[in-house]
Amino acid sequence: MENMFMDFISNTGFAMADYRHIIMIIIGITFIYLGIAKHYEPLLLIPIGFGILMGNIPVFKGLGLGIYEDNSVLHYLYFGVTSGVYPPLIFLGIGAMTDFSTMLARPLLMLLGAAAQMGIFLTFLGALALGFAPNEAAAIGIIGGADGPTAIFLTAKLAPMLIGPIAVAAYSYMALVPVIQPPIMRLLTSRQERLIRMEEPREVSKLEKIIFPIIGFLLCCFLAPAALPLLGMLFFGNLLKECVVAERLAQAARTSIIDSVTILLGLTVGASTQADVFLTPQSVGIFVLGAASFCVATASGLLFAKIMNMFLKVKINPLLGAAGVSAVPDSARVVQMVGQEEDPTNFLLMHAMAPNISGVIGSAIGAGVLWSFMS
Amino acid sequence: MTGMEAISAHNGWAISAIGVTIVFTGLTVLSLTISQLHKVLAFMERKKSDSQKRAEGAKEIDVSDIIIPGDMKETAREYKMIIDRMDAPFSLPRLLELSEKCGLNRPYSNLNDLIGSGLIEPDGEGYYRWKGPDNP
Repeated sequence: MENMFMDFISNTGFAMADYRHIIMIIIGITFIYLGIAKHYEPLLLIPIGFGILMGNIPVFKGLGLGIYEDNSVLHYLYFGVTSGVYPPLIFLGIGAMTDFSTMLARPLLMLLGAAAQMGIFLTFLGALALGFAPNEAAAIGIIGGADGPTAIFLTAKLAPMLIGPIAVAAYSYMALVPVIQPPIMRLLTSRQERLIRMEEPREVSKLEKIIFPIIGFLLCCFLAPAALPLLGMLFFGNLLKECVVAERLAQAARTSIIDSVTILLGLTVGASTQADVFLTPQSVGIFVLGAASFCVATASGLLFAKIMNMFLKVKINPLLGAAGVSAVPDSARVVQMVGQEEDPTNFLLMHAMAPNISGVIGSAIGAGVLWSFMS
Repeated sequence: MTGMEAISAHNGWAISAIGVTIVFTGLTVLSLTISQLHKVLAFMERKKSDSQKRAEGAKEIDVSDIIIPGDMKETAREYKMIIDRMDAPFSLPRLLELSEKCGLNRPYSNLNDLIGSGLIEPDGEGYYRWKGPDNP
């Protein structure tokens, strides 16, 4: 009886836990705290944070409990991540939520979304220089796109063993956009530039909004076919929204589908960060590169906006360049916040949505390009 | 292998240059296309209205062509019943008042949807007319 009791004790989480589990549990609780108390991307950080807790309960190997064990429930749920099923479904929901009006009214601002994707390719170079294999470097580079689903999708295709650290890095930095971006924005722009007011956008007709997802899909996917799963779903979702006659489907895509997938994605990505897989020097490198890529992407967008101003008669507010990173809508909100610090009557949010949304398209094209080169 | 050597060995420079070029090309082409889209649509609209003017007499609008989204049908039916009891053209504040008295849900938002979908249209003189089908 004593032996049985001692066996039981040795199989409990308390007996099996080591310092790495404790570190990961603290990280999970920090995510939950940031989501609830600080309101940093709560819809993502709370499921990921709780997933980290779930993934770091020390379990007896062979019982089919851990996410990396065949036949475990978490393993089946994680299949949606490793197979790349969840990210396109999230894009469907994003498409069904997004109003492309401001982008259609001012298509020039789309170039800012392209410029911010420099972060992807510079980080790719940085990761290669640090000794990562090319497919791993491509997956790390996509963190610079500031687009969680795209990062997970590409990593699942190119470097599945890095999904945990890359997803956590991507979502952490997305949540920290209000902290990371403003200092760079203030550093690279003058007060006069931040005070620039944008012209009122023209009114966009319903027909334009309906035609856009079809044209956008055809153009982007003919150019970068590997972006098909992400952009196809994004534009399809938007067509459902704009065509009005499929409102029920659009409603499902922007509510129940995206919410369900976000829960499953967040929870399983969190659970994939088991201490023995996650706490490695490689993860530290990924986090450092991820932070650098966010800064480079923000700076690229800002500097490109300043370059554009050299050629434009009607100047644009260069802060909009920072919204080119595709953290929708957080980076657009940050642009509004920084702009209003200088002039509380200057409303930039609506204008910032144009580069923000084109950043989503740009990062999906970038992911498609990297995937096609690496596969 | 690390540093510049690793980048060169894995074609990093070429991949990055081509990648950036493709992203820029994609978004530039899309940007140029959509910047012309409204002009093309306006041109087509002008041609259409010109040919309509040339046609003999003004054709009545076939209200059966107006598509009412599934979730708006019930709302449209309720408001049509109230509008039928008012003079045509009718006043929007009066319709709001009556819909509130009848206990209809979210009258402001619903009326906005009905106007947005073209079922109710302003007559240009401060009043409104029902433009949808008789039995929505």
